[in-house]
Amino acid sequence: MNKTEKNTEIAISVKKISKKFLIPHEKINSIKIAFINLFHKKTFESFYALKDVSFEVKKGEFFGILGRNGSGKSTLLKILAGVYTANGGEMKISGLVSPFLELGIGFNPELSGRDNIYLNATVLGLTKREIDEKFDSIVDFSELERFIDQKIKNYSSGMMVRLAFSVSIHANREILLMDEVLAVGDSNFQSKCLREFARYKEMGKTVILVTHDIGTVQRYCDRAMLLRAGEVAMIGSAEEVGNEYIYQNMSDEEKRIEDERRKVKPSQVI
Amino acid sequence: MTKEHENYRELVWRLAKTDFKLRYHASVLGYVWVILKPLLMFTIMNFVFSSIFNMGGSGNPYYPLELLTALLLFQFFAEATMTGMMSLVSKAQLVTKIYVPRWTIVLGSTMNALFIYGMNLIVLAGFFVYYHKLPSFAGISMFVIYSIILYVLAVAFSFLSAPFYVRFRDLGNTWEVLLQLLMYSAPVVYPLSLMPLKIQGLILMNPFAFLIHFAKQALIYNHYATFGHFILLLLGIVFAVFLAFLVFRKYEKTVAELI
Repeated sequence: MNKTEKNTEIAISVKKISKKFLIPHEKINSIKIAFINLFHKKTFESFYALKDVSFEVKKGEFFGILGRNGSGKSTLLKILAGVYTANGGEMKISGLVSPFLELGIGFNPELSGRDNIYLNATVLGLTKREIDEKFDSIVDFSELERFIDQKIKNYSSGMMVRLAFSVSIHANREILLMDEVLAVGDSNFQSKCLREFARYKEMGKTVILVTHDIGTVQRYCDRAMLLRAGEVAMIGSAEEVGNEYIYQNMSDEEKRIEDERRKVKPSQVI
Repeated sequence: MTKEHENYRELVWRLAKTDFKLRYHASVLGYVWVILKPLLMFTIMNFVFSSIFNMGGSGNPYYPLELLTALLLFQFFAEATMTGMMSLVSKAQLVTKIYVPRWTIVLGSTMNALFIYGMNLIVLAGFFVYYHKLPSFAGISMFVIYSIILYVLAVAFSFLSAPFYVRFRDLGNTWEVLLQLLMYSAPVVYPLSLMPLKIQGLILMNPFAFLIHFAKQALIYNHYATFGHFILLLLGIVFAVFLAFLVFRKYEKTVAELI
C-alpha cells in the first residue's frame, strides 16, 4: 500500500517551460564595444533552446531524455538544476536534487584524489563529517585505493570518471540529474554504475538521465522523453521513445543523403 | 525550487582552503612566499621613500612601521578585491555546470587574502618588537576592527563587481590601475601629515584612506578618529554592503549564460 502510494507521488513537474537565448550579432565583452553600441541599435537574434516543454516525473522513476545535439537536453537539465533560470513556465521539484550535470565538478588536477573527493563532495552538498564517514566507501567503489594520494593530473580519464562517479553517488540526494556521464569508463565500470542506478530505483530515488545511448535508455529507463529542436517530440515508455529516436535519426540521415545526392548531381558531368 | 544546499559554511571554507593550497603548489619556497613577498615589497619601498625621499628623516623614527602596516593593509585589500572580482570567471565550472549559491564562490575566493593577511600580521608583530614599540590594547583593538571593516569593504566590492566582470573583462585591468591610484591617494607610503591641512580632510573622505590612516594611528600613536567620524564610516560601509547585496542578487541570475 505504502509503496504504491509512493510511486504516484510526483518528483518533478514541469509546465510550459521555455528558455530563450539572445544571441548578439556582435559579442559585447569589452567596454569599448559596449560604448560604441550605445549609439548603434543592438541587434539580437533570439533563439529558443526550449519551447513550452512540459513533463512529469514520478518519484522512484528512471527517466531518460533523448535527443540529438542541440535539441535542448542539456539546457533543460541546467534549468532543473537551477543553473539557468527559465523564461516563463512553472517548475516544481520535491526532494533534494543532486545538482551534477557533469562528473567531477570542481576537480582540480593539482590536488590529490583525496583532496578532490573532499572538494567535490562538498560542492555536491555534503558536510565534512558526512564525507569522513563515507570516505572509505567512496574510495572502494572507485577502485582507486592505490592512487588516492596521487595528484589526479596523473590519472587517466577513466580513473577520473570512476572517482567522480563514486563521489556523486555518495552525495545521497533524492533526485539525480546526469548528463552523458557514462560515456567514458570501461564497460565493467559502466555496468557497475548501472547496477548502482538500479539500486537507487529500489530505494525510491528518481534518476534523470540525458544520453544519446538508446541502449541504456531502453534497458534501464522506465519512461523517456524525446526532444527535437527544443520541443517535446514524444513522451512514453523507454522502448517506444527509443524506437522513435532511431526512426527519426534514420529518416534524418536519409534526408541528408538525399540532399547530398541532389547537390552532387548537377556537377557530375559524366 | 532546487536551491537547498545545507553546507554553505563548509563550502565557503573548502573553496578558500583549496585556493590557499593551490596558490603556491608548484613553487620551491611555497608558503614562505606569503611572508617573503610583502617583506621584499616593503624593503624596496622603504629604501625608496626613506632614503631617497627622506620621509623617515623628518623626525619620525616609526616611518618603517607606518609603511609596513599600511602596505599590508593595502595588499590585503588589493588581493581580496582582485580575486573576488574574478571569482565567478575563474571558477566558471562551479557556475555553469552545477548549482551552488554563487555568493559562496565569491566569498570563498576573497578569504585567501584574509589568510595571507593574517599570516603577515605575525611579521608585523615582529617589526613592532624590533622597533621597541608596544601598541596599547585599545590601539590593537581598533586596528583589528579597522582590518575587519576593510575586509567587509573588499567583500562588498567583490560582490558588486563580480557579475560585471563576467560581462566586461576590461574591469580586471581597469581595477588594477585604479588600485594604484587608490594606493597613492591614500596615506600608504606617506604620512597624512605631509599633506596640507585642507587636503587632509578631502583624503579622509575616501573610506579606504580613512581606514589606512586611522589603523596606523591607532596601532602606532594611540590616536583615534572621533566617534562621529567612525559612525559615518560605518554608515558608508553599511550602504556599500546593502548596494552590493542588491546588485549581486539582481545580476547573478544571468551569470551562467554569460560566462
